[in-house]
Amino acid sequence: MFSFQPDRSQYPDVGPDGKFEIDLETGKFLKLWHGPNHPGITGNMSVELTVNGDEVVEGYTHVGYLHRGFEKLMERRTFIQVFPIVCRVCVPEPDFNEYCYAAAVEELAGIEVPEEANWIRTLILEMGRFNSYMMAMGGIAGALGNGVIGQWMTYVRDLMLDRFEELTGARIYHMFILPGGVRAGLPEGFEARMEEVLQTAERYLDDVEKVLFTNAVFKKRTKGVGYIDPKLFESYGVTGPNARAGGVAKDVRKDSPYLVYDQLSFEVPVEQDSDIWARSIVRYRDLRLTIDLIRQILAKMPKGGEVMTSLPNVLHWKIPRGETYIKGESSRGEYGYYLVTDGSGYPRRVNVRGPSYTHAMALLEHLIPGTNIADVAALMVSLHTYPPEIER
Amino acid sequence: MKREALSKLTTVEEVLELVAEFDREAHGFYVELIPQVSKSIRYIVEDLALTRLEHIRKISALAKSDDMRDHLKDAIMRPEADRKFSDAVQTPELMENPDDQGVLQFALARVQLAIEEYADLAANTPPGPFHEVFSYLANEESKHKSDLEALYYEIVHSGGV
Amino acid sequence: MGSLRDVLSPFTAWKHVIETPVTIKNPIGREAADRYRGFHQNDTDKCIGCGSCEDICQNAAIDMIPVDNPKDGDSGLRPQIDYGRCCWCALCVDVCMTGSLTMSNEYTWVDSDPDAFRFIPGVDKMPWDDFEKGYERQGDRMLSGLTRPEMAELEPEARIGNFDEIVAGYSREQAVLEADRCVECGLCVATCPAHMDIPDYIAAIREGDYDLGTQILYETNPFSEVCGRVCTHKCETVCAAQYEGEPIAIRWLKRHIIDNVSEERRLEIVGTPQVLPTGQKVAVVGAGPAGLTAAYDLARSGHAVTVFEAQDKPGGMMRYGIPEYRLPYDALDRDIAVIKAQGVEIKTGTRIGTDITLDQLKADYDATVLSIGLHLGRSTRVPGSDAPGVEAAIDLLRRITAGEEVPVPKKVAVIGGGNVAMDIARSMARLQKQKFGEVGVTVTALEDFDHFLADKEEVTESFEEGIEILDARGPQEIVTFKSGKRKGHVKGLRTWKVTSIFDEQGRFTPQYDEGDEMVHEVEMVVEAIGQMADISLLGDELTEALEWNRGRIAVDADGHTSEPWLWGGGDAVHGPDVIHAVADGHKIAASVNVALMAKAEAEK
Repeated sequence: MFSFQPDRSQYPDVGPDGKFEIDLETGKFLKLWHGPNHPGITGNMSVELTVNGDEVVEGYTHVGYLHRGFEKLMERRTFIQVFPIVCRVCVPEPDFNEYCYAAAVEELAGIEVPEEANWIRTLILEMGRFNSYMMAMGGIAGALGNGVIGQWMTYVRDLMLDRFEELTGARIYHMFILPGGVRAGLPEGFEARMEEVLQTAERYLDDVEKVLFTNAVFKKRTKGVGYIDPKLFESYGVTGPNARAGGVAKDVRKDSPYLVYDQLSFEVPVEQDSDIWARSIVRYRDLRLTIDLIRQILAKMPKGGEVMTSLPNVLHWKIPRGETYIKGESSRGEYGYYLVTDGSGYPRRVNVRGPSYTHAMALLEHLIPGTNIADVAALMVSLHTYPPEIER
Repeated sequence: MKREALSKLTTVEEVLELVAEFDREAHGFYVELIPQVSKSIRYIVEDLALTRLEHIRKISALAKSDDMRDHLKDAIMRPEADRKFSDAVQTPELMENPDDQGVLQFALARVQLAIEEYADLAANTPPGPFHEVFSYLANEESKHKSDLEALYYEIVHSGGV
Repeated sequence: MGSLRDVLSPFTAWKHVIETPVTIKNPIGREAADRYRGFHQNDTDKCIGCGSCEDICQNAAIDMIPVDNPKDGDSGLRPQIDYGRCCWCALCVDVCMTGSLTMSNEYTWVDSDPDAFRFIPGVDKMPWDDFEKGYERQGDRMLSGLTRPEMAELEPEARIGNFDEIVAGYSREQAVLEADRCVECGLCVATCPAHMDIPDYIAAIREGDYDLGTQILYETNPFSEVCGRVCTHKCETVCAAQYEGEPIAIRWLKRHIIDNVSEERRLEIVGTPQVLPTGQKVAVVGAGPAGLTAAYDLARSGHAVTVFEAQDKPGGMMRYGIPEYRLPYDALDRDIAVIKAQGVEIKTGTRIGTDITLDQLKADYDATVLSIGLHLGRSTRVPGSDAPGVEAAIDLLRRITAGEEVPVPKKVAVIGGGNVAMDIARSMARLQKQKFGEVGVTVTALEDFDHFLADKEEVTESFEEGIEILDARGPQEIVTFKSGKRKGHVKGLRTWKVTSIFDEQGRFTPQYDEGDEMVHEVEMVVEAIGQMADISLLGDELTEALEWNRGRIAVDADGHTSEPWLWGGGDAVHGPDVIHAVADGHKIAASVNVALMAKAEAEK
């Protein structure tokens, strides 16, 4: 028989301790696993949702699906042997790991890197950022049902992978930034082929602007949704585009320039609204900036010189006692490697500071209650997180 | 000595037979010498005797072969260079209680004498089978000299590290 | 929310419908980039099997596997790669000591047999073996050092007037830098006649643990002071580091260890024999490296060892053949002191054959070791070589060491191109400098500089010291005065040019050009062409009883002669080389030890 449903807004009840009282036995609530196998989840993690109708009342993030333990693996490898595994901490933007690790080792071992190698490193990092943002653009569009953008972006990313292939000798895990420098200089005619890719990218980004950012549905689904109070940034350690979308112009490239960023001219894009829309548009503008930076680097960098310093014999390379933290601005925020050495041939401790740890766990858990089930995917993608750097 | 005996002969076969006879004598000489030298250097005298024996076999085979003159010409076409390495140290008389170097000095002098005799015979014989056979024999002895000089270098000029 | 534009704009995506698709129809067969890190290639002729690739691989994807027909200085192993583990990081290519290992740009391989993906590049033939494109190291090897630190040496002016040691030895910093370059492949261990644990003692240098280093040295060689200075260092000829740089200075590193351990500490580390005396006696004839090494080992096995030495001091050729500027006597004494501390009795000034006969040794001792060296100098025997003023290098060197008066004329010619020729030339040059203030030595060698027998540094240093070296010249006559008060005395040396040194069979046989004759006017000619053993001590009976091998006493693999009581080794048996003599000493000691144990067993 027909019966009136009680008004959902009165649920869940708030208990005496100020927390929700959720009793699954009442049948008013449903546990819903968002992931680990779900198109709306970024990588290998899941969110355990408690829903009341289509409203999410509670969400817990779960990691542990990777079974890797990179940091522990590193402690069991010599300094040079760590080099091939660090890139695996982050699939879409692996080069940041290579750079941070190499720079940390170089600092503690007192190794000077040739100038040209620093330019090539910067170039590689911007190329990596380009790829990462391409995935983020496709992701946020896909999370809201706009699949075609994902396909365009995948195509453009593939063209950049071709450039990675000819520069580094590999497409995904480049293993190119080695302690001491980089493995090789630019190949013949690289600049022209890169320019072609950048122009293709710009053409597609023009379309993205028309199809995604001039789109009533996208605006409706993103504006005012997934708001992060900028007051939380400090306590939750929010960095990168997520912070810049909330009016905080944080960018390691600008704030404490590393590599050759002090020789490049750029302004950090900032938005104010701190919602999914703002975060998406910040990324879009940052991607445009990256294209500009790649052009600047190729125009300004020295070419044809040394790109690698001779290392001590790496087969029994010991690094004196010390510790350092090397950070940089990845596409997701501040990325850092904390390296402790004890004078032996192995790292005593390597800690990877990936921005996803705070963004995808603590912050996401904080943001989820009160959202709509359909928005969870968009919310998560808008934070632009990669689980392997959480569970490193 | 050899020259007189050889110059009297009328056929190449006779020449070769006589040369083999000379070699038999030389072989006999070295065989007798073996027990007279210290056991430590007997290998050199044994080698010298063996070389003569091989030479006898080679000459016998040559005398019996149908295309002897082709063999002769072929050998003369590739003359053995005289390296002159041992010329200053050859001794025609074997020293008393000879050591390894002494035996070689003596053997080198003998082989040098043979080269000179055969070369002289060849020079005094008009072109034809006789000239060829003497040239061939001179060349054979030159090869022995080279072998001995290589051994001489190895034993005497060990470098002194 | 949103304008009409926001509704219509997304439809512009439709324009892509008329575009050509960007997907590749058949991605298999697409050629990878020029420097793509694809399947491995290995130039097996260049590869020495050092295993650095195996060491560096963080996935343990590489195993070193024995292959057929290894070449000299080669481990006989080649890397086998397991593509179930490989991550294509190419560190193996970067670390490769010879540059033999590279990667093609091929990246597709289909096979139904999973084991096929574990293969030995270069040995198991693959379609990409000859691909030009792919990854190879750009420029020099960067993952280990290429050059050795320069050794500090006395400048020519500072050294020519004296017999002071020329080489200073490495400082701690230099030694650590040099030790760091070692990749621990162990090819040197296989090549060293004494099989010294070279990578291990080099590692001890890196750790700064000189006690451990000394312990390792003494496991295989009681002559580290000597070998650290004058070893022929065959090890360095096979060193993996030499292919794209300089070989590790193994000899200098050995010296560095021993330089850093005092004589007292050395005695503490090595200790004394820790076994009960066996009551058996061993006689050793000749206190050179072979005899003393055998004595050291045998004493540590509990036997009573007596070494008989004809000269006044022990050391043999190490003392009486090698000049002091290359090997100071006190360094040799430090090595010998450790050997003496094992209870070895050294009877110097006792010549076997005259003072005591071998028969007596045979009767009085349970075993006898013959290590008599090569102490007779060879003579060229060219005319005039018996004239007064003609000397044997080995004899002169001995007299200089013994402190005897040697004639020092203003002009000296040396015949010979080996290290002994350089030793006597440089020794005479020093004496000349002391006496006349100038050097007048001419060395004439049969061999040309391309095939010179002496070490390169000996030649370089001789030139620096003002010695004239004429290569490719053969002695023809030592010219003597025909009349006057110096009648019969040396007037000069007549030489011919050597035009070639190989015959058709590739053997060393110099060929002279009598047209190019020179007469070097000198007052003394030193013959330094070679040495032989003085086997007169054997006597006729024993000479006849022993088996011989082309002029040398025949021994089996353990150094045992055909006489059950007699062992032989060192230069007299295996040719001149200190480290080889040390190796002989160990072998002989082991063999003697077994024989003595059997004897003791039989007598029970």
